[in-house]
Amino acid sequence: MTQRITIDPITRLEGHGKIEIFLNAEGDVANTYFQIPELRGFESFCVGRPVEELPLLTNRICGVCPEAHHMAGAKAADAVYHVDPPRTAKNLRELLYSAFFVTDHTTHFYALAGPDFVMGPDAPVAERNILGVIHKVGLEIGGKVIQARKYGHAVIEMIGGRKIHPCTSIPGGLTKGTTEDQRKEILEMGKWAVEFGQFSLKLFNDIVLGNKTYVDLILGDIYTHRTYYMGMVDENNHVNFYDGKVRVVGPDGKEFVKYEPKDYAQHIAEHVEPWTYLKFPYLKGVGWKGFTDGKDSGIYCATPLSRLNAADGMATPLAQAEYERFYSTLGGKPVHQRLATHWARLIELLYAAERWVELASDPETSGPNFHAAPAEIPTEGVGIVEAPRGTLTHHYHTDERGVATKVNLIVGTTNNYAPISMSINKAARSLIQKGTVVTEPMLNMIEMAFRSYDPCFGCATHSLPGQMPLEVTIRNADGEIVEMLKRN
Amino acid sequence: MVRKRNYQTIRPRDYHATMKTLIIGLGNPILGDDGVGWKVAQEISRQLPVTDSQSPVEVDCAALGGLSLMEQLVGCQRAILVDALETGQGPEGSVRVFPLEALPNPSAGHSTAVHDTSLTTALEMGRKMGLDLPASVTVVAVEARNVYDFSEELSPPVAAAVPIAARAVLDELKRAV
Repeated sequence: MTQRITIDPITRLEGHGKIEIFLNAEGDVANTYFQIPELRGFESFCVGRPVEELPLLTNRICGVCPEAHHMAGAKAADAVYHVDPPRTAKNLRELLYSAFFVTDHTTHFYALAGPDFVMGPDAPVAERNILGVIHKVGLEIGGKVIQARKYGHAVIEMIGGRKIHPCTSIPGGLTKGTTEDQRKEILEMGKWAVEFGQFSLKLFNDIVLGNKTYVDLILGDIYTHRTYYMGMVDENNHVNFYDGKVRVVGPDGKEFVKYEPKDYAQHIAEHVEPWTYLKFPYLKGVGWKGFTDGKDSGIYCATPLSRLNAADGMATPLAQAEYERFYSTLGGKPVHQRLATHWARLIELLYAAERWVELASDPETSGPNFHAAPAEIPTEGVGIVEAPRGTLTHHYHTDERGVATKVNLIVGTTNNYAPISMSINKAARSLIQKGTVVTEPMLNMIEMAFRSYDPCFGCATHSLPGQMPLEVTIRNADGEIVEMLKRN
Repeated sequence: MVRKRNYQTIRPRDYHATMKTLIIGLGNPILGDDGVGWKVAQEISRQLPVTDSQSPVEVDCAALGGLSLMEQLVGCQRAILVDALETGQGPEGSVRVFPLEALPNPSAGHSTAVHDTSLTTALEMGRKMGLDLPASVTVVAVEARNVYDFSEELSPPVAAAVPIAARAVLDELKRAV
């Protein structure tokens, strides 16, 4: 039984994550639909703008990862003008980006993921937040989180000109460099960030890996999907967030394809479902087979876990040691259990901090050549970076004046829309049988599924109070509502 | 260990203890009526006497929430936040003034998809950490519906609310804390 539902745009504007669950005549789950409010019209909004404005405009899409949009936009604008930024510019951009990754991953782990493990998934909802973590583990944690964010924002501001929405990357490089003193200051902060990364992994080790219940939860079937994995890699197939080729490995961990950013459209297509505004990207080379995993389904995942799966290792020594421990602990590559994404995220945090130190140690970083003037007629270009939430693609077409005529974006979270939908479906099936609906644990299971992907839906709006409520509607075989769960 | 230094934004208020009140227009300036907070902040800047770095009032715009917004409030004694609010209660463009505590705090379950925590929780965390945060945070909210379509223009009822909201902020400024 499949029942099509159409979304009334009015309901979309409530800004809710809406989940519709349809039961069959026996009272078991027939279908689940996860609908999200999607922002409309961004691509057309960009048309008619000078391409150098797009790294500034696109970073306003989202208040969470403007740095990612700024970098993908700047790289696409470089490509539009056929200009290769000098080493100093690339260093500075990647340095800013590494500091951003440290900040973003820190926030996610301590504010969102941590509470499930530190407090436990069964803890009362009111305690499962960052305050609960501080209460349980100690004030020192809170201080470190604030400090990590402070350093991250300081670097973003020094290089990017603004603390939150950087504005210095332009076609060919940056509008300004950094001084030798600033570079040394950034280096000192980076050394602290490396220690913080190690501290975070030790915390994870003590609290999560030292607890059999949590390890069982991570390794359980409910959040396991055997999909393809995507991530950007350098020339040694090591994880890189700022530059490289996009590599996809299959559910068996073997390389399926590796492509240059400019060729993305040859490999990625987008599937449309009638019940949602957001599209589902999938691998063209495999095809869309519906919401199912395995080698014959083109669904792929793009997350910290995916990046580790899609690479052969980490480019920095401490993170590489953690990478090896990760796979030896979890029984080899690839790891399909989505909750392991939290661990992968901390390994990435450590790598980003080490990379921060590497780049800040290079004297070129404070060099005078931070911009190469574009000299060619602009045409079209693709820029790809890894956003914390997944591979981010910006594709711009311009006329000969450099004015945008067509813009296409595939944002980090969109890559994971199908896997998230599958996780929700599995959580619902495991908790609803023969008409029995387990309410509170189900909301928790669904939330935990969400959190491992760290999705960022419709995050461009942040109207107060600034959080997206979750709404779950359960309908019987006749389409009548039997249960409505809401968490505000 | 890094020597202790203040890496906060280099802005006048970091260097002048006289700073008393921070007014922040919140929202996304390219997302239709979600940008109303920015427009109100700009209107207030026009109406306030020219400020110098010693001024007890600072006006700013931001597209932030949660922890980042809390971090912006460090060092001021009073904060007034201007933002779009979608409650469905009251007509579009209606303006309301209330203390932050009156907002629902959904972060108890830090539910679903927002990559952070609510401002209320963030402030509580910051205070626990001993950060210098304002005792009073007031919200001036403009009821808005059109916050999901990209545009730099406000809809007519929300645009009409800009001077009213600006007046509400200036009235709030005159009140004793």
